[in-house]
Amino acid sequence: MSAKKEKTVRGAEGTPILAVKNLKKYFHTARGNLHAVDDISFDIAKGKTLGMVGESGCGKSTTGRLLVRLHEATAGSIIYDGQEVTKADPAALKLLRTRMQMIFQDPYSSINPRHTVANIIGEPLKIHGKVKSTSEYEDRVKELMDTVGLAQRLYDAYPHELDGGRRQRIGIARALSLDPEFIVCDEPVSALDVSIQAQILNLLMDLQDKLGLTYLFITHDLSVVKHISDDIVIMYMGQIVERGPTEPLFEKPIHPYGRALLSAIPIPKLNSRKERIILKSEVSSPIDPKPVCRFAPRCIHARAECLASDPALREVAPGRFVACHFAEEFV
Amino acid sequence: MEKILEIKDLEVRYYSDRKTVRAVNGLDLDLSPGKVLGLVGETGAGKTTLALSILNMIRAPQGKIEAGSISFAGKDVLSMSKHELRDMRGKDVAMIFQDPMTALNPVLSVGEQIAETVLKHEGLTKDQAWKRAEEMLLTVGIPAERSKDYPHQFSGGMKQRVVIALALACNPKLLLADEPTTALDVTIQAQVLDLMRTLIRDNGTSVLFITHSLGLVAENCDEVATMYAGEIVEYGTIDQVFGKALHPYTQGLFGSLPDLSEATKRLKPIPGLMPDPTALPAGCFFEPRCPYAMEVCKAAHPKDIDVGGHLVKCHLFDKEGGAGRKA
Ligand SMILES: Nc1ncnc2c1ncn2[C@@H]1O[C@H](COP(=O)(O)OP(=O)(O)OP(=O)(O)O)[C@@H](O)[C@H]1O
Ligand SMILES: Nc1ncnc2c1ncn2[C@@H]1O[C@H](COP(=O)(O)OP(=O)(O)OP(=O)(O)O)[C@@H](O)[C@H]1O
Ligand SMILES: [Mg+2]
Ligand SMILES: [Mg+2]
Repeated sequence: MSAKKEKTVRGAEGTPILAVKNLKKYFHTARGNLHAVDDISFDIAKGKTLGMVGESGCGKSTTGRLLVRLHEATAGSIIYDGQEVTKADPAALKLLRTRMQMIFQDPYSSINPRHTVANIIGEPLKIHGKVKSTSEYEDRVKELMDTVGLAQRLYDAYPHELDGGRRQRIGIARALSLDPEFIVCDEPVSALDVSIQAQILNLLMDLQDKLGLTYLFITHDLSVVKHISDDIVIMYMGQIVERGPTEPLFEKPIHPYGRALLSAIPIPKLNSRKERIILKSEVSSPIDPKPVCRFAPRCIHARAECLASDPALREVAPGRFVACHFAEEFV
Repeated sequence: MEKILEIKDLEVRYYSDRKTVRAVNGLDLDLSPGKVLGLVGETGAGKTTLALSILNMIRAPQGKIEAGSISFAGKDVLSMSKHELRDMRGKDVAMIFQDPMTALNPVLSVGEQIAETVLKHEGLTKDQAWKRAEEMLLTVGIPAERSKDYPHQFSGGMKQRVVIALALACNPKLLLADEPTTALDVTIQAQVLDLMRTLIRDNGTSVLFITHSLGLVAENCDEVATMYAGEIVEYGTIDQVFGKALHPYTQGLFGSLPDLSEATKRLKPIPGLMPDPTALPAGCFFEPRCPYAMEVCKAAHPKDIDVGGHLVKCHLFDKEGGAGRKA
């Protein structure tokens, strides 16, 4: 990263650079509205990492895409550094896009197969007029390739010639190309072997220390999310069911889904299989969901109240927010 | 016991612009019925290439199986006719692809795709096939009312669950699972793996389980193989390898993991660069990055050494030479 281009980000360390309020995204389907993201609120402080975990299909990627406005929100607000992202006009949006980037979950479909590695990484530099000459362009692309550990022999290679891990690095290099301040990292390391995972995680953390980057880090790997995040949100079917600082949340999750999730982490040691909380496998539908607890059909503690109303996210212990009618029992 | 899968001396190459990628290099591998073999290894080690070879699906003209043999249930896969291959794929040998869209047809609803597969291979009626599709989707946690949705309407992990349902629908004898659960949360992961275990128990299905998650290997596999630069460098039972990893590369993998029980500031990746598969060294492929490298490692390519049934391709374990440096 070229330190000279380091931007001054307004808002001191610790104050929210990103504030999400009552954000919703509904997709219209033949059978009704699919509530992909359903009224979620959270903040991320400058220079910090918010880890986001949850079931597949619970709305994590949709949230990420809303933040960088690859989706239009159905309702709610996203304030980034004092600016309303959901209402930004095209010019403001173009500027925001240099400051907010996304590393995509799927290294296969998020990169254009007809472009070379260099083209994919360097395209944003051209679109945003960040380089003045061909040689500056090439230098910058090579620098980015070094940063993410892509050998320069791959400069003219095509994505289909690469394995999953190298493809994912292309996505990371591209996201870094405009020196963003905020990055949505959507499963950035899940396709990589654990040694390269460690390299990329170290890289993301070094960049954060050096440039004060802020991350929303989406993953299913709970060991990874624990390692990299300052705070965690746990989502279930479009809603946040638990939010809190990483350490105490991992020490003792409160929401029944969070507890099941953390009990199921596979441990890479012999005979370490511990007591698992097995969830019921009934699933409810995200299409026009009823105002009840959405986790109730899988919850082993569910009772009548859970099907009477939808529990709100509330503070049940200092800094610990949980959406469960009976949270106090699990504190 | 008769092997369900036997691979001998497999060599796979990809050719591009005068460069040759040596993706799989003299690889031997056996799998017994009802066993689950975990295959871990570096990004680009050739794991997917190996799985595709078993289906004889290496795409020409770039890709080519240059040498070796693969036999499935006693039949030579590499000399099967188109017809035999089509029968084998999807029915006897099912593959869960790393990229779910490889297996999914974007213009068919997910229910239709599963129904079509069971219709083709299992000889059910249309109604039965549709019912079976809905059942399979339910077992992977997708409600029946979404069976008429198209792949693009699902999240990444949900697509992967559809692919898993598709692969398991015909009760295959061999399942090649390429990162099947990476995109799933651990509760669904546990559910899907339970389903896989049931299948193994009921049908004696063998599984080649490709993953980067050492935790999943520890909890779900009987045996484990570590792959580096197109070779299997270590092979043993879970007890052997997780008890004491012998190859310095496998040790490096274990060393890179974040530890849930204690906070560390930075992780410890294996130093050095990934090998360049177009220019592999003459000696040990891991030598340039190995903390224990010796003279002999540069000079000679190591052979498999049997340490009490636990195989390792490393000069540290040579009977003569390399004495006293057992890692
Ligand atoms: N069509 C192709 N043309 C050229 N090279 C290829 C092709 N497909 C794969 N390769 C190369 O072959 C090697 C093995 O790739 P493969 O996809 O089998 O690795 P892998 O072990 O599955 O990796 P990952 O864990 O990242 O999925 C890599 O160096 C890759 O870049
Ligand atoms: N373009 C779309 N049209 C209709 N439904 C969609 C669309 N994109 C996403 N969805 C639905 O929205 C919900 C949330 O999807 P999203 O991709 O955000 O999940 P996710 O939490 O990222 O899951 P994963 O962990 O599997 O990546 C899912 O039910 C999905 O099927
Ligand atoms: Mg996603
Ligand atoms: Mg692969």
